[in-house]
Amino acid sequence: MTGASVLDAPRRPDADRGFGRSGAGSPFVRLLARRLLMAIPLLLAVSVLVFLLLELMPGDPARNQAGMDASEEQVEAVRRRMGLDKSPVERYFGWLFGIFRGDLGRSSVSGQSVVDMLGDRAPVTLELVTLAFAVSLLIAIPVALMAARRPGGIFDRTVMVVSMTMLAVPNYVLAMLLVLVFAIMLRMLPAIGFVPLEEGLLPNLRSVLLPVLALAVPLAAFYTRFLRGDLVEQMNAADYIDTARAKGVGPWLVLWLHAFRNSSFGLLTIVGLNIGTLVGGTVIIEQIFAMPGMGMMMLEGAMSRDVAVVQMCVFVFAAVAILANLFVDLMYAVLDPRIRYGSH
Amino acid sequence: MAVTEAPAAAVVAVPAPDVLDPERGSLRWAGIRRRLVLGIPLGFVALLILACFVGPLVLPLHPPVGGDILNSALPPGSPSHPLGTDINGNDVLSRLLHGGQSSLLVAISVNLIGLVVGGGIGALSGYAGGWVDNVIMRVLDVFIAFPSLVLTIAIAQALGPSLPNTILALTAFSIPAVARVARSATLRIKTMPFVQAAELSGSPAWRILLRHIAPNITPQMLNFAMLGMGIVIVTEGALSFLGLGIPAPNPSWGNMIYEGQQSMSATPLLVLWPSLALLATVLSFNLLGENIRDEMSGR
Amino acid sequence: MNSNPRRPGTRRRLYGAAAITLTAGLVLSGCGSAGEPAENAADAAQAEPQAGGDLTVLMDAGFGGGWSTGLDPATSNTVGANLGQNAAIFGGLFTLEADEEGKDAQIVPNQAESFEYAEDGKSVTIKIREGITFTDGTPMDAQAVLWNWIRHLSAGSTGAPRIALDMTREAPELDQQFLDDLYASLPDDVDKKLVEQRLGALEVVDDQTLTIHFADPNGAFVNTMPSTNMNLIGSPTAYKELGAEEFSRTPVAAGPFKVVQNSLSEKLTLEKNEDYFKEGLPYLDDLTFQSVAGDQVAYQTLQAGQGDAIEGLSAVALITQAQNNPDLTTTLGAPTSPYVIQLNTRQEPFDDKRAREAIYYATDFEAINEGLFQGQGDMSQSFTASGGLFHQPEVEGYRTHDPEKARQIVEELGGLTVNLGTTDIVTARSVTTALQTQWAEAGIDVEIEAQPLGDVITKFTSGEWESMLQTAGAWEPAAGIGVSVRFGSSSPFSGTPLPDGAANATEAFNQGLTTELDDVLAEAVGTVDEQERGQYYQEAAKLISDEAYGPFGFAFSPAQVVREGVHGPGLTTPIPALTVNSTVLYDRVWVEQ
Repeated sequence: MTGASVLDAPRRPDADRGFGRSGAGSPFVRLLARRLLMAIPLLLAVSVLVFLLLELMPGDPARNQAGMDASEEQVEAVRRRMGLDKSPVERYFGWLFGIFRGDLGRSSVSGQSVVDMLGDRAPVTLELVTLAFAVSLLIAIPVALMAARRPGGIFDRTVMVVSMTMLAVPNYVLAMLLVLVFAIMLRMLPAIGFVPLEEGLLPNLRSVLLPVLALAVPLAAFYTRFLRGDLVEQMNAADYIDTARAKGVGPWLVLWLHAFRNSSFGLLTIVGLNIGTLVGGTVIIEQIFAMPGMGMMMLEGAMSRDVAVVQMCVFVFAAVAILANLFVDLMYAVLDPRIRYGSH
Repeated sequence: MAVTEAPAAAVVAVPAPDVLDPERGSLRWAGIRRRLVLGIPLGFVALLILACFVGPLVLPLHPPVGGDILNSALPPGSPSHPLGTDINGNDVLSRLLHGGQSSLLVAISVNLIGLVVGGGIGALSGYAGGWVDNVIMRVLDVFIAFPSLVLTIAIAQALGPSLPNTILALTAFSIPAVARVARSATLRIKTMPFVQAAELSGSPAWRILLRHIAPNITPQMLNFAMLGMGIVIVTEGALSFLGLGIPAPNPSWGNMIYEGQQSMSATPLLVLWPSLALLATVLSFNLLGENIRDEMSGR
Repeated sequence: MNSNPRRPGTRRRLYGAAAITLTAGLVLSGCGSAGEPAENAADAAQAEPQAGGDLTVLMDAGFGGGWSTGLDPATSNTVGANLGQNAAIFGGLFTLEADEEGKDAQIVPNQAESFEYAEDGKSVTIKIREGITFTDGTPMDAQAVLWNWIRHLSAGSTGAPRIALDMTREAPELDQQFLDDLYASLPDDVDKKLVEQRLGALEVVDDQTLTIHFADPNGAFVNTMPSTNMNLIGSPTAYKELGAEEFSRTPVAAGPFKVVQNSLSEKLTLEKNEDYFKEGLPYLDDLTFQSVAGDQVAYQTLQAGQGDAIEGLSAVALITQAQNNPDLTTTLGAPTSPYVIQLNTRQEPFDDKRAREAIYYATDFEAINEGLFQGQGDMSQSFTASGGLFHQPEVEGYRTHDPEKARQIVEELGGLTVNLGTTDIVTARSVTTALQTQWAEAGIDVEIEAQPLGDVITKFTSGEWESMLQTAGAWEPAAGIGVSVRFGSSSPFSGTPLPDGAANATEAFNQGLTTELDDVLAEAVGTVDEQERGQYYQEAAKLISDEAYGPFGFAFSPAQVVREGVHGPGLTTPIPALTVNSTVLYDRVWVEQ
């Protein structure tokens, strides 16, 4: 990993931090360019990894497909149809070159073009994830700020208890409870199904509200706790906060301008982490609410070794995660000038 | 953490004990309260671990598997089955305690490994900067970018669902996450005056890491790890939802919840007990984590 | 998704914010649904059908609610599971119908007008009803049926029946256009010789009549038809126009409904076929099939008023819950497929007959029936059940539960260790767990292996298995996962001994070697006389029992659950399951307005 020399040498405070030297070119642009360039081999590496994993999975998807009472002949026919009679190398490169030609492939199960499938399903997952992300932050940030204002106070304690509860509940149990209360008992919201935007904004929002809540609430709980903890720690430990207070700056301002700014690092980090897993982790929620999204598409594809489908889903998820993390890193630089310019 | 109302500023800080007048009664109360607030979750965690690991050895419990099918789905309060039985006729209380063993084992292992390995990598990466940082971060990026679901399915299907494999699969996600948090904390810390002072005085990097960086990021890491306890237990349940994780019929809280919710409208209590156990556990660990963090950083 | 009007039904009291917390919510869900058992099944039978309205049917994504390979019966691999969708879109040449109590089930010609076996049973003549048109206006005539049948047999679908056609007949002179269209609809690599032989075996007698020629007498064929894709006839003209992919998404046929929109394995929207050949039918204006993730989600959705019916609810706890719910009507299926523990006689430990006997004595399916299914399963000592043909609950000389004897034998053997496999479904796992406990009492050491269906199949075909919990039989024992699949010597899924002189199953098949059981099963298919068939199956059951090839258990058929006001054959009156699930006759389903 690292040579001994790098670690043992006494550190110079203004050593290059890898974020750009003063001088040639804006540090942002260089960072952006470099990271985007690195994204390509990264995505390729991910695609190879996916392919290998799919190959390693035991079982015969052709036989799976064909079912119990299929004859050998029928299984072979299914195998041919799924393209599984070709060698793994052939299949991978066949897929890869197809991508360059612009042919994203077809599902080996249904024969549908992957582009069409994505077109149907990506908006669903995208909407779920975006709304969940937004809602979770919309809840977490204000609540954490208010709680950190008076650590140990009633509001803080309530927040702690409630967020703890929400964290401990698996999101599918929460989903079922939400359905129980809002769909069955109160009949206010639908239990399943996705209403596309074309059919109206309100019906669409009604159909995604429960799944979004099921996704967002545990996240919000996590962010709230983390942020609140970090804020309180900030306020206890940091010199500049005491300085600010000594200067007579009000507590809210202290919180917002200083403590939050620093805590946002940590928050950004975990949010960035979560975007990647959030996108792939909507499967269970999509299942429960019968949302025709990419999570289900990927799961079914993985189970039947539908290479084209899984690769495309993984590609999209990976791209989203990479972009999200890139954004996080950029935000680091924005938020802390010390990192941006490598000096203090 | 003790709360004292400072006269002027409404924002509360935790003053060090020597700041307050030892003769004031409020200090004694603050001290007792602090001990209680730390003690209760600690006590509960201890109780939990005792119940799950020692309980089955000393209590006259039914075995958690191999129950008589004729005793299927007995309600709580049935003779010799205080919490009833599940659909296979197994005693719920026994499954709860044995399941706790599995769930706790997984959670503790994963978080410990994650903390040590992930924290180490992250701190190293953040401190070293430059190409070291870049390389490590890119490698971690692959794991973070990789949809966990496919990896999990692949691991579980290829290796077979089992306790060790579950731990393996979950650390694969824990480590990069912890590493990232450690790195971001390190980035913040390393520009601080005392770190730079140490650098200027010629301390070697490894020493700085151990003596200055590590203790300062530990509170945040511990907090994260304690939060992670709950998340890991819940994620183990999610793995069960996909048919992976701890294999049936051996219980874990996660797969008990999964089995129960398959007919939740008919057997809600089978979901309730493990959920409550989970809740209590997560609560305790989180409180514990935050109190430890507050203790260590409250100055 | 259509907006759903408020459903009539009991109002639930508002529990407010308290219900949101974990504890309150869960406890209340248990309390809220207790009630009086529904008594309205009898009333339902009396009411007069009304036209109009729509119905949403919920199906388990893992079974009927999965149609990812499309709805073209020639290429779909889920024909056996998608009975509901197929019944709605295609109708079917024949249907299985029963009386109001699910008894006296028989095959009824539906789009076919009649059928007649030849004296020697080596052929059957099927006459198609006159005047039936597909929804695109083209006629359903013998040519169209032929086109369909060739495709069904040759395009690779696993819903094709495995019948031995008479391949020695000459293919007749057929219209070149017809042949071109036919080959265009088949895969490029299809074996043309086979197709020609099939064209010979499927003879078009006149515009409305076809005769199928078999290689050997086959008296079970028509009985098995509704469980195969040959029962489903689509429009060749539409196929030509739409192309393979489009046709697979939105097939054009002559059933009571036509496809409006199809989201594979997710939602299928259908509307009434105004030109349906039965006057006044279907009753419904719109029909939607919605796929959901399992029984619990289906039940919740029904309770929430978003679905009107659940096809095939199999979780016993939920069925009981539904039965106790006064707002719902629950109809248990007429069971046709008992559990069986197949024992592999071709390797240890079950090559020893005593070991197999020990299993019989150690097994108490009665107790499992009581404990898991509240006694609602239908006990059987053979592969037949009360809902199916040739029902024989008891077999002479069957070894019943006797733990003492079991223990004795195990002692004699010096111990017994068994690997018991099954498909990874909740119910199956519960049953194997119970068996494990029972066998342990006799001193038998059991290791359970519950695997996904694909892996189970692999295990079977590799021959590396000791015992397997499966289900055997169907309404027609020769259909679906029939008896010969489980007990015939040349089946890859069988554990019965190989015939003398054959080293493996393939050899046995190729050389035409058979065991006594094979012969009996072949005879049972090879005659048209119902009585004779029954006798042969009795013989088969006795053979299996005497040789201890595998103990049978009980048969339990999934339930249909509907909200108040929904009625129909297969939904509120039971129809035996052809293979696994009941077929609902959607043209006669109606809702109260």
